[in-house]
Amino acid sequence: MLASSVQRSKSTPYPSKARSALIRRAVVVVLVFVALALITVAFRSPTSGPLHSVQGAGSTALRPFQVAATRIAQPFRDGYDYVASLSSAKSQLKHEKALYLEARKEAIANSAAAVNAKQLERQLHFVQGRKFPGGYNAVNTAVISPPGGPFAHSLAIAAGSANGVRRDSPVVSGDGLVGIVTNVFPNSAKVTLLTDPNSFAAALDLHTRVRGMVHTGPSGTLILDQVAKNLRVKKNDVLVTAGTRTARYPDLYPAGIPIGRVTSVGATDTAVYLQVQVQPFANLGSLTGVSVLVPKKTHR
Amino acid sequence: MTLGDGVKAAAVLFVAAIAQVSIFSQIHVFGAVPDVLLVTLVAFALLRGSVAGAVGGFFAGLLVDTATLGTLGLTSLVLTLAGYWIGRYGETTGRDRAHAPFLSVAVVTVLYQFGLLVVHFVLGESAPGGAVVRSLVPAILLNLILTAPLYALVRRLLRPSEPAELSAEVQLLG
Repeated sequence: MLASSVQRSKSTPYPSKARSALIRRAVVVVLVFVALALITVAFRSPTSGPLHSVQGAGSTALRPFQVAATRIAQPFRDGYDYVASLSSAKSQLKHEKALYLEARKEAIANSAAAVNAKQLERQLHFVQGRKFPGGYNAVNTAVISPPGGPFAHSLAIAAGSANGVRRDSPVVSGDGLVGIVTNVFPNSAKVTLLTDPNSFAAALDLHTRVRGMVHTGPSGTLILDQVAKNLRVKKNDVLVTAGTRTARYPDLYPAGIPIGRVTSVGATDTAVYLQVQVQPFANLGSLTGVSVLVPKKTHR
Repeated sequence: MTLGDGVKAAAVLFVAAIAQVSIFSQIHVFGAVPDVLLVTLVAFALLRGSVAGAVGGFFAGLLVDTATLGTLGLTSLVLTLAGYWIGRYGETTGRDRAHAPFLSVAVVTVLYQFGLLVVHFVLGESAPGGAVVRSLVPAILLNLILTAPLYALVRRLLRPSEPAELSAEVQLLG
């Protein structure tokens, strides 16, 4: 038995570790390079080019799925909103009643002023640019991708160039200013929000007529900037867009769009301007629909 | 990985990406947003390895960038690296360890946020470092809450790979 020759079983081939590692690394390197190439192309021509068209087509193809997901989530969202509103219903009602009384008083005063203003404009043959909301058509559309996370200061909407949306069209919600269209695709568009660090809107304090620039401050909150310390801005003042002041440099936003309410006013010895914090009227984090303002006709 | 497995994996990541951009991006808790896609990708990469993780991350990122009309490739880049890295962890030390999904999600949430911060900064876009740091702890907690159910779901849909299927550069002895 011991003398008999025993055939040694053929050993299974050792898995080629080096080869599999090489493939694995090659795959990840290729994917990283493709991603970098995409970023480069998208960054160099963000509003045109073949990649832009492909992205637009892809966005259109994904939209039904996004709409379906939103509809599935809607009952849960409604339920949450209902429960959440129950706890603050009484105080909210009191607050809204006070606001309503104040708004009614202002509305009556405004109606009287508007009649006078119209008469004066006619008598003076007053020439002016487009007015909000009369000078614009509203393209009402759904939000298909709301902003999420600290990096996202934009949202995607379900209307594009096919619906008349153009780049730099102002976007509003029922409550106030939302932002501006920064990228247009045939059936969708990207809206950069007012809270984007690169967004600026010339604003006017309705109560004190003080002008300033609304933008995101260093702490991430919305501020009214460039208001000299000798000027007066009060807490709870309402801010609206100031509109064009110089025909040479027309403002992207027409005058009179509500922006928000002043929540605090401060001044320090070292700062040049007042420190005014603003709470936007529009709830920018949970918008489901917005209106894109498209000019009714082109003025020369 | 079989073709059927690939289709299932693609469907899981697709649903997660759509849910993320349409539903979960609206849920803000202390400045953080729960990231269903990232947690799903972590679960997928742990179960299927580095190559599948990287490929899954790339296409999931592409879906997100397309749906949100963001800069194409930006999310892909970060998710590709996240999927690869977690896949490697799953193939080596993280294999068969109960805490692996939780540890991976916690670590990758931090790395993903900082990865996005760096890429946004390099591109000259808004890179709010303070906001990212402030939202880190709630983001980790939210993602950890999602980890157990999502990992169980993905594990149920995609059976765990046989050890032989996984890369074995580092083998556990004993």
